Amino acid sequence: MKNTIKVQRAIKDITQAQLATIIGVSRQTISAIEKNKYVPSTVLALKLARYFEVQVEVVFELTEED
Amino acid sequence: MLNLLKCNVCFTFGKVNITLVMKKSYLLPHRFKKIGWILLILGLILGVAMRFFGLDSDYFGKISFFGMISEKSFISSEKHFFDIVENGFLDELVSLLVITGGVLVGFCKTKVEDEFILQMRLTSLVWSVYVNYGILFLAVLFVFDMPFFDVMVLNMFTVLLFFIIRFHVMLHRANRM
Repeated sequence: MKNTIKVQRAIKDITQAQLATIIGVSRQTISAIEKNKYVPSTVLALKLARYFEVQVEVVFELTEED
Repeated sequence: MLNLLKCNVCFTFGKVNITLVMKKSYLLPHRFKKIGWILLILGLILGVAMRFFGLDSDYFGKISFFGMISEKSFISSEKHFFDIVENGFLDELVSLLVITGGVLVGFCKTKVEDEFILQMRLTSLVWSVYVNYGILFLAVLFVFDMPFFDVMVLNMFTVLLFFIIRFHVMLHRANRM
């Protein structure tokens, strides 16, 4: 699964730490998701999409390997 | 099957609150972690001094314990039940310090305990159980007599210590990402 969190963050102009606080997770989690080292739960994915005001598929997309 | 599935989902994601922490994670509040470190480090210093630098278990004197089971001497293996036992208390103190400190350090929540950290916790725990019993497996085959007794004594604490080390290394790595 790939994601566009970094891009979405740039659009909103916020840091990983700020996003983490808003969503209610640790900064490590945001960083791990951005680096594709962690696949978030559905709830977390939906929360991220809601904050970025886009559909969840805009933030997260399945890849060939999935 | 449905029940099993439900339980599994429950355990993985739980009733998610604002910080996405499982309601029933069995973890302890973050505020006890510092006291855990103090107890653990104190216990480890005393434990290392006892095991490797010959600090005696009655160095600070003996006190009376209520022994549910005890033996009067190593030579006669006669068991005594519900008897008062005079015992140097340093080894008991060290064990309790390491156990209490270790459990607090290992199982107090981090400042923001979320699903990613819970996953690191789980993998560290699995890793430490494998390593701990891997070492014990080898010790069963290759260590005998009193040295094996030493292995057993250390093995009481190693699973907890391996977990703490592994988990904190993973946290540190994640921090630097």
